[in-house]
Amino acid sequence: MASHFVPCHWLPLLALVLAQPAAAARSVSGSVTAPQGAAIAGAVVFLQEPAPPPTDSQHAAAVVDQVEKTFVPGILPIMVGTYVRFPNHDQIQHHVYSFSPTKTFELPLYKGEAAPAVLFDKVGVVKIGCNIHDWMSGIILVLPTPHFTVTDASGKYVLDNVPEGNYTLAVWHAQSNVKPEDTARQVPTREEVANVNFTLTLSPARPRPPVHGSRADP
Amino acid sequence: MGRSLRTAIFVAFSILILAVLLATLGLTQWVVGREAVRGLSRDLRTTGQVFASQLQERAVRLQTNSTLLASDFALKRVFATHFDPERYDAETLASAGLSYRQRLGVQLVWMTDEAGTLLAASPAGKPLGQSLAAFAPLREAIESQAAATGIVEVDGKLYQMVAVPVLGPDVIGFLLLGQIIDDSVAARLQQETHSDVAFLTASHVFASSWATSGQHERVRAATSGLAALSGRSGALDPVPLQTGTERFLSLAVPVDAHLSEPLYALIQGSYDAALAPLHALQWRIAAIGSLGLAGALLTGMLLARSITRPVRALVQAMHEVLRGNLQHRAPVERKDELGFLANSFNEMVGGLQERERIKDTFGRFVSRDVAAAVLNGRVPMAGERLEVSILFQDIRGFSALAEKLDPAALLQVLNQFFTEVVTAVEAEGGVVKQFTGDGVMALFGAPQARVDHVECAARAGLGIVERVARLNVLLQSGGTPPLQIGIGVHTGEVVAGLIGPDARVEYGVVGEPVNLASRIEALTKDLKATILVSAEIAARLGPRFVLGRTAMLPVKGRTDPIEVVELLAHPTGA
Repeated sequence: MASHFVPCHWLPLLALVLAQPAAAARSVSGSVTAPQGAAIAGAVVFLQEPAPPPTDSQHAAAVVDQVEKTFVPGILPIMVGTYVRFPNHDQIQHHVYSFSPTKTFELPLYKGEAAPAVLFDKVGVVKIGCNIHDWMSGIILVLPTPHFTVTDASGKYVLDNVPEGNYTLAVWHAQSNVKPEDTARQVPTREEVANVNFTLTLSPARPRPPVHGSRADP
Repeated sequence: MGRSLRTAIFVAFSILILAVLLATLGLTQWVVGREAVRGLSRDLRTTGQVFASQLQERAVRLQTNSTLLASDFALKRVFATHFDPERYDAETLASAGLSYRQRLGVQLVWMTDEAGTLLAASPAGKPLGQSLAAFAPLREAIESQAAATGIVEVDGKLYQMVAVPVLGPDVIGFLLLGQIIDDSVAARLQQETHSDVAFLTASHVFASSWATSGQHERVRAATSGLAALSGRSGALDPVPLQTGTERFLSLAVPVDAHLSEPLYALIQGSYDAALAPLHALQWRIAAIGSLGLAGALLTGMLLARSITRPVRALVQAMHEVLRGNLQHRAPVERKDELGFLANSFNEMVGGLQERERIKDTFGRFVSRDVAAAVLNGRVPMAGERLEVSILFQDIRGFSALAEKLDPAALLQVLNQFFTEVVTAVEAEGGVVKQFTGDGVMALFGAPQARVDHVECAARAGLGIVERVARLNVLLQSGGTPPLQIGIGVHTGEVVAGLIGPDARVEYGVVGEPVNLASRIEALTKDLKATILVSAEIAARLGPRFVLGRTAMLPVKGRTDPIEVVELLAHPTGA
């Protein structure tokens, strides 16, 4: 399995795609919108079925950067077993932590690359923050699959390298109250490029203290 | 009379002063009372505002403190333990809560998860695992994911509560802090504003500044007072209420709270205390007024006395004069109208006395009737023609008698004699005009004109004879020889009036009949008759008088003789 390194200025995000049998690969694309048609950015679309292949010892790695006192990206989907590094590109120190049961960790005050990578070995949502900057907030979505992507500003997504077979596709958003499995859609098997659109109802964005960065910012 | 005048002045003064005093008191009561109530109302409203802003400040402070506390990373760590059943330790959380309570000086610390389920409480009491979302501040905080405050009731106590989210970085739970609103809060407010405060609903008094001062009766009365107040639409107007014997002005300020009943701050100020300065003022005014009243009454009394004393003296003087004491004079002590009055009175009495003296003097020599007529001005100064009867009387043999008796005895006899003569003349309405030493001349019909003067004169002559006869009996028993008299009576027209120079003016009659009467009297000696009347008299006496001899006698100074008739006696049986 080859890893695909994600640059820190990724836009649109192309999720890490594992090497697949070349002959069978195809793409699924579509959009995620609100019921009234407004585009929803920052939604994670991922293959729910089948179960992911077992992870081997060579873990993939991902990065959540800290720039201008903001986590970049604000939402990071990863496959379970991925190491995530938290480099700090600000001139000041940050203190990254998570109290999420999926992964509780703490990287006490540091700058640059000083912090060790963190292994996310459980599937789930990890909310990260900075102890000294209340507004800094990010999400790491730990998925059981390597097939995922994030909608762009216009709510569109393209999921490449989808293997042959019957799959369901699900969507997750930080403000959605619907469980991803309840959003599952069957991916048509015939088309070369399948098109699957999602409609999500989001709860209103939560008012927060001065926020200098949105976790939904793709 | 003096008493009543004095009383009247006294009463008038008293009423005037009292009226002024009462008016002053009433006006003071009205003005100061109104101001006191206004001031008190202002104080109550101020207290209401102070209370509201204090609540606000407390809420802000509480929120600031709890926000700071919620940002504490250690607290976040503590909170986050609830995500992990293995690490969740309610006791540790509660002890952390105790620490925060002490740190912030609050009375209540609750920690909940992000859904509002109680994780830990200090002090312990609430069952853990229970949802506290029913508490309004928490409910609001969950909805808004931001801090919220409110007043809530916990176990019968009133708390100002703030719920702040604990971010990690999303909301991982809520920290609830409660600051109690108890008697000490009310007492502090009372100390700051000097108005009493109670926090209560219609059914329960949560806290009051009275409880600390032991006024439990007022605490009990507060709810009924609230019922009276909250029923009113304009609740911001203070209303007087009575608690026991003290009156209060009360203001019910609605307090925004999350209770089953509306919460009020009942602010009370003592009406009586507010009016205390007024009462002090009234006492002072009353004292000054009383002094003024006393002074005025004293002045009035002195004034009344100074007026009534001379008046009474004058009245007494009048009584004296009425009783005939013309010697009496009213005291003249003043130079005002009263002095003038006393002076005038004295002059008047002096005039009276003088007249009386003159009357007496006259009377000694002439008839009182003449004197009175002269003094009364009934005698015309120019003189008048009157028809009168003139009686002359004389004592025969007076010279011989004068030689026999010593002068004192002679005068005594004469005085007795003349007293009888004058009495007899005056008994018949006559006037003794003149004393001639041993006789008199009397007039009838002057100065008081009368139609029966002829008969009066005749009867007077007979009366003199009778009285002298009785006197003679008396004189003879004393060894004195009897007095022989002669009387002549005539009538005719005379001129009557005041005769003589100013200083010696006297009433008199002149004319021929006077002389003739004198001549007729002189004839009695010749005829040895006692009473002789002229023919004119006799003709008018009529048959009832007993007449005697008639004689034609020559008269001195007249060529023709005149006819005289002897008068003997009264009509029989008369």
